[in-house]
Amino acid sequence: MLQQIIALVIILFFVFRLFGQKMKHKISGNEFGLWLGFWIIAAAAIIFIKDIDRLVKSFGFSGAGINFLIYLAVLALFYLIFRLRLDLAKMDKNLTELARQNALNDKK
Amino acid sequence: MKISCVIPAWNEAKNISRVVGEVRPYVSELIVVDDCSDDETSALARTAGATVLRHPINRGQGAALQTGDEYALRNDADIIVHFDGDGQFLATEINDLIAPIMSGQADIVFGSRFLGKASNLPALKKYLIMPLARIFNRIFMGIKLRDPQNGFRAMNRQAATAITIENRAMAHNSEIQAKAFRAKLRIAEVPVTVTYHEFGQKFSGGLKIASDLLIHKIIK
Repeated sequence: MLQQIIALVIILFFVFRLFGQKMKHKISGNEFGLWLGFWIIAAAAIIFIKDIDRLVKSFGFSGAGINFLIYLAVLALFYLIFRLRLDLAKMDKNLTELARQNALNDKK
Repeated sequence: MKISCVIPAWNEAKNISRVVGEVRPYVSELIVVDDCSDDETSALARTAGATVLRHPINRGQGAALQTGDEYALRNDADIIVHFDGDGQFLATEINDLIAPIMSGQADIVFGSRFLGKASNLPALKKYLIMPLARIFNRIFMGIKLRDPQNGFRAMNRQAATAITIENRAMAHNSEIQAKAFRAKLRIAEVPVTVTYHEFGQKFSGGLKIASDLLIHKIIK
């Protein structure tokens, strides 16, 4: 129970921080929505951890719900790193095109 | 027939004047793409008689080649030759390379170090890195060529238009070959001499090329 409360306090801290960033226009509306959704799901998962335990068991997994959440978090991290890698590659491509057009326009 | 030669160069002040001087007699226009060198590459190339394009930031050999190709196409090149700025190729072999295009037998011609002419290819490259690269190219890229990584090549206008180089670093070699096969261009390989002044691409570089090629396949 104490662990759940600590986890919820930490999430609350990040949610407040998120609102602060939105008020200061540091993040876009879409980004705000995405992270808010993420923290709400995380909070729900912690509140309903017992139900997740039952759900995991009904799928035939022997581990506790918290383990299942950690596996999901690792998968999500892998996905985010992959997305970042792709975004970087796209930015790199655009940068090359800018450099090219600059070189070609200088010669016109 | 207008023959343009594209030479990507990065900090090649030591070699560029000699290379431009050697290549100039064999082509109609020589385009040096200075990939943001810190040295006098641009000035020396210009003095030697080349048209110089300069990237404001360093983008890699593949990017420089594509910049040169676009410039050559805009300026009505009929044949584009790719040549290295470090003097490892022989300018006298440009005629051998463009001959199959001039005679209408090929759209793109790749130089090969494995067709009889002597190249001082390091043993590790010859017996390990190149065979592995050949297998990789064959399986993952559908390339059936003797030389998997040779920067000495020539192509006609149709081929240059069909092939847009997207890999900005060293993976462009395999990319160009793969795109030539995919576009069903008429492809030829001719023997060329390559003089190694240093080892060049290492095994780790080969792995980087493979990873770049796979990433580009994903983000397309």
